[in-house]
Amino acid sequence: MMRRWIFPILAGGLVAFGANQATLLATPYALMYAALNKVSERSPVNRFAFAPMATADNQTIVRPSPDLAYSTCVFDVSQGPVLVDVQPVPDHYWSVSVFDARTDVAAVRSDRDTNGKAARLALMKKGQKAPAGYTPVVLAYDRGLALIRILLANPQEFPAMDAIRRKSTCKQI
Amino acid sequence: MKAWHRYSICIALGLVGGMAFAVQQVRGGLNDGRVSNGPWDTGKSFGTVDASSLTRAKVALSGLLALPAKEAMYFTATHDSAGGALDGRCTYEVRGGKLDGRWWSVTLYEREGWLVKNAANRWSIPAGAVSTDVQGQWAFTVSPDVKAGSWLPTGSVEAFDLTLRLYHPSDDIIKSPEKAQLPVIYRKGCA
Repeated sequence: MMRRWIFPILAGGLVAFGANQATLLATPYALMYAALNKVSERSPVNRFAFAPMATADNQTIVRPSPDLAYSTCVFDVSQGPVLVDVQPVPDHYWSVSVFDARTDVAAVRSDRDTNGKAARLALMKKGQKAPAGYTPVVLAYDRGLALIRILLANPQEFPAMDAIRRKSTCKQI
Repeated sequence: MKAWHRYSICIALGLVGGMAFAVQQVRGGLNDGRVSNGPWDTGKSFGTVDASSLTRAKVALSGLLALPAKEAMYFTATHDSAGGALDGRCTYEVRGGKLDGRWWSVTLYEREGWLVKNAANRWSIPAGAVSTDVQGQWAFTVSPDVKAGSWLPTGSVEAFDLTLRLYHPSDDIIKSPEKAQLPVIYRKGCA
């Protein structure tokens, strides 16, 4: 009697392992896909959205920092490279990070890396060419998110920081 | 019972069981690549291609868009230093010294990582908000009730966690986060 169940149980075990791995692999893509769609509601693709400071009533992405001003650009390099120009913020921590569709960080540049100068990134896929003056960031996927973080010393700084960050651009060539 | 009935039952159970176990793993049931230091947990591979599929899935759920360690480290505490679960109806003191990085903050979240509604509209204590003594020690209170000095409201939620962000951490902390001098969390009492 039990011998009849041995192979079905083995088959079930293999399916369980496969389903477990497939679920783990798919989770980052699914959550990033949802995040990209949510952020896209604020601004078109390949353009920065300048979010207000995170509060309990304003949380687009999980685990936001209420001390950082976030700017997001959902990019799509399928039609050509996307250029990200980040305006430096004097005497403040700032960074731009590029996340791919699997949630991996493809690039990070902060004020420490640029010595306070502007960051200029060309987001592209293999085979595309970066314009002169831009650091190439070759991506494994067409879509992703570029995120600028600016650290505020206090909430009163927000209007001044907001004016500076709005000079940053994200655009397709 | 025919053979295909047995196969169908086992494959269906395997499919559901495998997916359910993955959900349980991602929601925090298991420890994967985590490094502990007192009440704080962190990981060394957040946001990198080196992360395992489980770490990547866990970070996507509760810390999407986390930076890699060279830029920032995230230490999360769901328990106090005595091992008790953090409870928003209790009062805690968080006490620490100089943290080996460029800037730090401690933010209070509930569930997967959402800021908690509170009357003070305060969700974090950044480095600049605490007073340090001559030894470089600082402290702040986490409590549902208004407290003097630096105070982080819990909003009286049943459970919460604290995330310590450390931007531009030192090479020593990146290499050995388990040895870093991190704040302690003392429970002072509950309502």
